Amino acid sequence: MTKPYLALGLAGPHLVELTTSPSLLSRWDALPLAFSVLGIDRIDGSAPAPVTLASSAAGATLAGSTKHGRFLIAATPQRDHPYNIARRVASLSHLSGGRSGLLIGVRDAYAPEGPKDAPAWGGAGLGGGAPLNAQTAYDTARAVRALEQSWPYDSIIGNRETGILVEANRIVHVDIDNSFSIAGPLNAPEPETGASVIAWYAEAPADAPPVDDNNPIDLVLGGSGSVPIVVLGDEPPAGAFAGVVLRAGIEQSVNDLLSAAERWLADGFAPTSLGGPLRAALNLPAPEPLPSTARPAFPVPQPHVSL
Amino acid sequence: MTNKRTGHVLLGINALVLGYLPAAWKTPLLKKDAFIDPDYWANIGKAAERGTLDAIFLADGPLLGDPAYDANPIRLEPTVNWGHVAAETSHVGLVATASSTFNDPFELAERFLSFDHQTGGRAAWNVVTTRGVPAARNFGIPDVPLRDDRYERANEFVDVVRALWESAATGRDVHFHGDFFDIDGRLRVPPSKQGRPIIFQAGGSPQGRELAGRAAEGVFAAELTKNQAIEHYRLVKGFARSNGRSPDEIKILPGLLLSLGSTEEEARRRSDELHDAGPASYSIGWLSQAIGVDASKLELDEPFPEEVLGPLDDTQTFLGSIGFRESIITQIRKTNPTVRDYLKQTRYTGSGHAGFVGTPEQLADHIEDWFHAGAIDGFNLQPDRLIDGLDVIVDELVPILRKRGLYRHQYETQTLREHFQAASPTPAF
Repeated sequence: MTKPYLALGLAGPHLVELTTSPSLLSRWDALPLAFSVLGIDRIDGSAPAPVTLASSAAGATLAGSTKHGRFLIAATPQRDHPYNIARRVASLSHLSGGRSGLLIGVRDAYAPEGPKDAPAWGGAGLGGGAPLNAQTAYDTARAVRALEQSWPYDSIIGNRETGILVEANRIVHVDIDNSFSIAGPLNAPEPETGASVIAWYAEAPADAPPVDDNNPIDLVLGGSGSVPIVVLGDEPPAGAFAGVVLRAGIEQSVNDLLSAAERWLADGFAPTSLGGPLRAALNLPAPEPLPSTARPAFPVPQPHVSL
Repeated sequence: MTNKRTGHVLLGINALVLGYLPAAWKTPLLKKDAFIDPDYWANIGKAAERGTLDAIFLADGPLLGDPAYDANPIRLEPTVNWGHVAAETSHVGLVATASSTFNDPFELAERFLSFDHQTGGRAAWNVVTTRGVPAARNFGIPDVPLRDDRYERANEFVDVVRALWESAATGRDVHFHGDFFDIDGRLRVPPSKQGRPIIFQAGGSPQGRELAGRAAEGVFAAELTKNQAIEHYRLVKGFARSNGRSPDEIKILPGLLLSLGSTEEEARRRSDELHDAGPASYSIGWLSQAIGVDASKLELDEPFPEEVLGPLDDTQTFLGSIGFRESIITQIRKTNPTVRDYLKQTRYTGSGHAGFVGTPEQLADHIEDWFHAGAIDGFNLQPDRLIDGLDVIVDELVPILRKRGLYRHQYETQTLREHFQAASPTPAF
């Protein structure tokens, strides 16, 4: 039987503790973990902890101050828009060498709900918005995936003779019309390592993503997924799993969590290679590209002439 | 002026991705995908810090312009990009632009306070309202709200964000019920070393200046002439005063587009070469957008017709910046150039933002002149091409300013707010 990989679940206070301690950062960076979830308590139904950080801000610190550790940022459409989420996801992947991904959630424990008729994104006061449910979260994931793919990395050609930097005619609109209406394209290219891994959280079967033909979810965490979550202090679960997320409670420290991870990695869990893109580390297949019928966003570039 | 102004200027760098000129990417100094390369961005931060510069800026908007010939429209998300750069620097301020139109104030407040916490109190939010249909269509609306509505929203947005930052310090819930936003809740992000991020306001519309006077600690201004800059400097400082604030609480840094060389001739040659290496359609497209007229229909070898220079029919639907347009019209009226000459002139005099082509010594003279004239607290310098232009600022301009007592020799303060407070006080006016 293949040994499962080990991942970590960090709650709000752990984000503050980890990112402000150079020694914890280097210890975290040296562990052969699959990934760490930055702020799992934001989306797993927990009550808000006394302190937290925006997940992307903690991710930016990890991208800049570590070399190997992989991570998922947690985000939901409650007070956020898929275009803005996609921007942060793609930017983190560029800056971390593909070490990052997204855990999409339905509700954000740290944010007030939006207006009753549109509690997801409706609080932005721009009109629009959607119900706060799994479909909206799923539609957000689909939009993030499509937006990340809207500008192929290999369209960056940098041809100094013709003056063409990007084959911009290969950049496409995403023309999404689900819980959100989004024309696209994204304003950054797809990461060189490909579109980011998108994970979903499902503790019970009822939490499963409302999958359709265009499923953007690469990985399901929680009791109903392939990667169960174990609370620090409990034993590893019996049965065959791809991996396990070891999650600390807010009364436990990052030191406690890293110490337990070191023990588990020495006994029964498979080390994941240090560094490198998250998708490769988890052996996940590359997502399907956007359909070839997508509308080009820009004309075919022409070699330039001077004034 | 009877009393010569004392203290030092503020110096920022507006990164504009690879530099403000479209052809910046063509240099062999850069990889073809430098604009998404973590090392490229980290090195900008480190170079700025070598020069003890006050801050680096990133513009932003949630839309993509055509990147076929130019890296300028390409945008990594600024809080993420500068958050990453923060990990490799320790003192330089990090100003991230974000739209008050296309964000939720709760999410933005939480993210920017987190960014400020993670950078050790070096963060600023540069508030923009965002123009243009492409951005709107990424958020499910056919067009951006009209200018007055965008600024009404921006005012309320800033109030919500500031209240939420306050809630992080007090632990008490915010109960905000306005025309645009209803928020009952609080932030649980720890306050940063400087308490909360600096707020910057960019743009020169009357509504923007009022917002700045009320709420901003920094203004990223657009000024073409010294007299106009003095007038606006006094206007915005006056707005601050009428809001019960000290004029010193708001620092004004106009943008300055730069091409530098060891001689004036070398600087002009660099500027010409970089311009000639970029597409001509850019200048015409830029002018059209900036003045609200299709410039491709103008006779290139005739002066600008009077109807083009008159007031706008409708400022609400005008997609350009009113501050930029005002600067440009003033400049055109001054010399009455042909359209072609104006487009070529802007190579040396700038476009909306003032331009400067010359030696580091001449640039130091320019900075000193505007500083002592009471036109600025500092400049937000915008090199033509960052990869080598920034080194000239750091290694040649900064030492000259230091010799003249206009700039510090090493960082004496830690947070961005402290950098601002340590700069020269506002001269009497």
